[in-house]
Amino acid sequence: MTRADWEKSYVSAESALREAGVENADLLKLEEVRVRFLGRKGALTELLKSLKDLSIEDKRELGPKAQGLKASFDDLIDARRAALEDAGDAAALEKDAIDLTLPSIRPPKGRLHPLTTTLHEIARIFQLMGYSWAEGPFVEDEKHNFTALNIPEDHPARDSHDTFYLQNLPLLLRTHTSTVQVRTMESQRPPLRVVCPGRVFRHEQIDATHSAIFHQVEGLVVDESVGFADLKGHLQTFLQKLLGASTKTRFRPSYFPFTEPSTEVDVKCFFCPGSGCPACKHTGWIEILGAGVVNPAVFESIGYDEEKWSGFAFGIGVERVAMLLHGVRDLRHFYTNDLRFLRQFDESLL
Amino acid sequence: MKVSYNWLKEHLPLELSASELSTHLLKIGFEVAGRERLGPAFTGVVVGKVVSKEKHPNADKLSVCVVDDGAAKRTVVCGAPNVDAGQTVAYARPGAVLPGNFKIEGRKLRGVESQGMICSRAELGLPKDVDGIWVMGEGPALGADVGALLGPADDILEVEVTTNRPDCLSHRGLARELAAYFRKELKPLGGGMMESAEASFPVTVEDPQACPFYGARLIENVAVGESPAWLKTKLESIGLRPINSVVDITNYVLHDIGQPLHAFDADKLNGSRIIVRRSKKGEKLPALDHKTYDLPEGLLVIADGEKPVALAGVMGGEDSAVTTATKRVILEGAFFNPVEARKSSQKTRLRSDSSYRFERGTDPEASRAAADRAAGLILQIAGGTAAKPVEAAAPRPARRPIQVSAGKINAVLGADFADLAVKQALRAIGDVNDDGNGVEFMYTAPSWRHDLLTANDLAEEVGRFLGYENIPYRMAPMSAKAARLTPVETESRRVRTRLASLGLWEAYNYDLVSEKTLLACRLTAEGQPRVAQPLSEDWAVMRSSLLPGLLKNAQYNLSRGADAVRFFEVGKSYAIRGEEVDETWRVAGILLGPVLDARWQPARTPRASFYDGKAIVEDLLEGAGPIAWAKLTEPGAGKTPSDPLFHPANSLRATINGMPVATVGCLHPRAARAHDLEREGAIVFDANLDWLAGRESAPARFEDFSALPSSRRDLALVLDKATPYARLEEVIRGCLVPELQSVLLFDVYEGKNVPEGKRSLAIRLTFGRFDRTLTDAEVGAAVEKIVAALAYELGASLRG
Repeated sequence: MTRADWEKSYVSAESALREAGVENADLLKLEEVRVRFLGRKGALTELLKSLKDLSIEDKRELGPKAQGLKASFDDLIDARRAALEDAGDAAALEKDAIDLTLPSIRPPKGRLHPLTTTLHEIARIFQLMGYSWAEGPFVEDEKHNFTALNIPEDHPARDSHDTFYLQNLPLLLRTHTSTVQVRTMESQRPPLRVVCPGRVFRHEQIDATHSAIFHQVEGLVVDESVGFADLKGHLQTFLQKLLGASTKTRFRPSYFPFTEPSTEVDVKCFFCPGSGCPACKHTGWIEILGAGVVNPAVFESIGYDEEKWSGFAFGIGVERVAMLLHGVRDLRHFYTNDLRFLRQFDESLL
Repeated sequence: MKVSYNWLKEHLPLELSASELSTHLLKIGFEVAGRERLGPAFTGVVVGKVVSKEKHPNADKLSVCVVDDGAAKRTVVCGAPNVDAGQTVAYARPGAVLPGNFKIEGRKLRGVESQGMICSRAELGLPKDVDGIWVMGEGPALGADVGALLGPADDILEVEVTTNRPDCLSHRGLARELAAYFRKELKPLGGGMMESAEASFPVTVEDPQACPFYGARLIENVAVGESPAWLKTKLESIGLRPINSVVDITNYVLHDIGQPLHAFDADKLNGSRIIVRRSKKGEKLPALDHKTYDLPEGLLVIADGEKPVALAGVMGGEDSAVTTATKRVILEGAFFNPVEARKSSQKTRLRSDSSYRFERGTDPEASRAAADRAAGLILQIAGGTAAKPVEAAAPRPARRPIQVSAGKINAVLGADFADLAVKQALRAIGDVNDDGNGVEFMYTAPSWRHDLLTANDLAEEVGRFLGYENIPYRMAPMSAKAARLTPVETESRRVRTRLASLGLWEAYNYDLVSEKTLLACRLTAEGQPRVAQPLSEDWAVMRSSLLPGLLKNAQYNLSRGADAVRFFEVGKSYAIRGEEVDETWRVAGILLGPVLDARWQPARTPRASFYDGKAIVEDLLEGAGPIAWAKLTEPGAGKTPSDPLFHPANSLRATINGMPVATVGCLHPRAARAHDLEREGAIVFDANLDWLAGRESAPARFEDFSALPSSRRDLALVLDKATPYARLEEVIRGCLVPELQSVLLFDVYEGKNVPEGKRSLAIRLTFGRFDRTLTDAEVGAAVEKIVAALAYELGASLRG
């Protein structure tokens, strides 16, 4: 092959390439074009092969030209192939699309009861303040429920404890968690700092605001030189952690046989601006717990040295706190276990 | 206790509004639960005289009257049939406002100008007496304000008095408390006894301990009738019904100064004598409440020569009650031991204003003065002559002074009140004897304060009067040990959060159930503690298992449209053991319905089966030790009170180290039927939380795993249907192939291509070593060994 022949073939290959229609080819056609030019007998293959017939100088001059043509052909093919693959992917992805708005498929959902979360929250705050958890039996005797707490048999204060007594046994269902105060002091030496959460029982007809079974969190601190001021400090700290830092408290005198002085603690109503609403019985304040300085008579019945030790105790109604926190108006909901009720309480919301 | 503010002011001049008073009462420990305003609900109504009355020209039923209200004569159209000339009436001038904010204005009625209105009692919000207008009768001056004539308006407060303060259970008592708080003087108590004739009347007190003071005074020639208006108004204002003058006076004195009194008709007392004694067997008392009480032996009674005439301090007898026919009255003023009064009231279930005060403790030194005051009022209102009282009194122990100091009181309160302020507060409520030498002083409480016995009691008084709000907020320093939970609480938190994450909702049920509930679950009430006086049969028995409650919860929710129910509860079960009651913390649960929340992909939502329940129990017992499973009927499974509720064939007990700790299974068909669950396939479980909490636990130890690839072989084995899968695993493990890493069951099949009475179990065996990769030949040999053992032990053959 002469140089002139070669150059002629080059020009015809180049023009054939231009007219091959790579730009519009589909994948099939693209392969056909590739084989036509680069196959064993392809025009470009032939052109590259016939370089060997030329002189060294011609080779040196025309070789790169031929390579250039091949490279631009490769580029053209690759670019078209990439374009076709992209388009194909896009169509396939489009075809794969599912309805993402269908409901999630989830493992079954379950949650803790709102009384559990409320009780845990109360106990958690006290735990941060150094209170350990203490427990006692639900079935109790007169001594732990009453006598040791300075409520002798003929004391009118027993009237406010409508008691379930057991049949044929000298036992009763505890009417308050204060029993655990006594049990804790019987088994441990001061200093003490405990909360005693749990179930209590009152012989009381059940209605929207009364339950024969409910929960309390009792607290007890015994130490040297503890006074009413510490009670105020601890309970105010607790209430502000439970209900918010701006919570206003009110301590007013009251009476419990096992504490002296005694107090009932109110918080400023958080449903109304103090003007009165049904939640605060139109007083602007909501009663939230009872408390007091441990009556030395209780220490005496336990056998603690009442000259050395002093303390304070308090009791919180768990249902009452849960009702306030969640806006539940009827106490019976807590014991009906209606899923429509329980589903409304996510423990992370407390 | 109902308190009339006007009545209170008779004892202590106060310039506060009723609402301000309530605030002060609250600050010193008396909650005011309610407040009601009594009095005229109208203004602008005056006394008028009907000067003339004529028929209305345009209306048959109306009259045109001229009313003189002292200032002017005006024309008033009136519709009442009973209006007439010459009557004194309540006349509402134009501008008057009647109850319901009804404003009176001059207006034309059928063409005649009416300037105001002649009122009926009902229109003034007063109790109605006759139909038509209120005809007042002669007396009041024309133009006088009708509201003022009815007496001043009053506020009635519902004051809550705690059980330690019986001294405040009267108007004077509460006034005394307020006087101490406000540092004011109580007004002197008026009345008292005016005359006393000599008389003797035998009074015997058999038990001076029970009745340290008894006074009886004979008043003769009384004329018992209706009480005067002031007395009736007072009693009515605090919700009491007037009866007759003598009874009303005793009630009045009770609510005025807090001393319960009783008046007997002396002529009805047998033998004209009084004995304070214990009731005898079989004695009865027909009481003032028209009921007859069987008196248990040993209650303190007032008796005449023959029978009890009053239950001491609680209620008098009907037979000796003072009536309008009574001529001679015996007036009792006594101090009964609070314990006696309470015992009598409790044993007879009879409560009265009187017992309420006696059982809390009255003022032993006020009995005589109160009786004197009542006697004086009787003479004044019902006439008659009074004899000197006959008294039986035991010497009373002197009140013990309390040694105290401001420092001690400040220590209890954590406050820093000045010495002077502390003493001043205490002086207001008792005697302070301060010799001036040193910080300690002596305080003696008055006779009406039974509650002041210790320095703490006095600290409360000081705190109340100087204000709880003036005690600082302080944080006791931490000196107790670091806070910690109990093992049961730690475990119950783990269990609760684990079960909630496994998709179970936590339920709270009552510890008391009915016998019927237990029976519906095939459980028995026998051996269960019972409450002596249940609220109802639904609350009679203490539960032996948490499951009956959970079954009810499932039934409840299904009937309200739920299709999946998954509940657990952490609570106690109870059993009688000798003289004690055993309490066990348990955790139980129920599962039924779809296990996955994927309703729109039904293929993915199988219903809960036994194996879901088994998984939950395995989770609960994780880390507790190797579980041995046994059917409830097998020896070694042990027994629990819940067993009869489980399906006997399809339930398993988990035993760990020989201790039965949990049960899981299908519900017994009968229990299911009783709860409408027969088509639900409910799965129940029950575990002993106390055991879980008490088990030994140690941190998990890491075990290395092989970095080399393992080899798997799948086998499909045909076995007798009756051969439990557990046997298969047992035999495989029994081959002791050390390279066997795991056995995984991945298919259970029976039907086509598997002979009748057989089933095919497909398992995947995984083999491996730590030191090198196994060769095919080694794995093949191991599989052969296993297949041979299965064939020999269980008759298993490889399928197809």
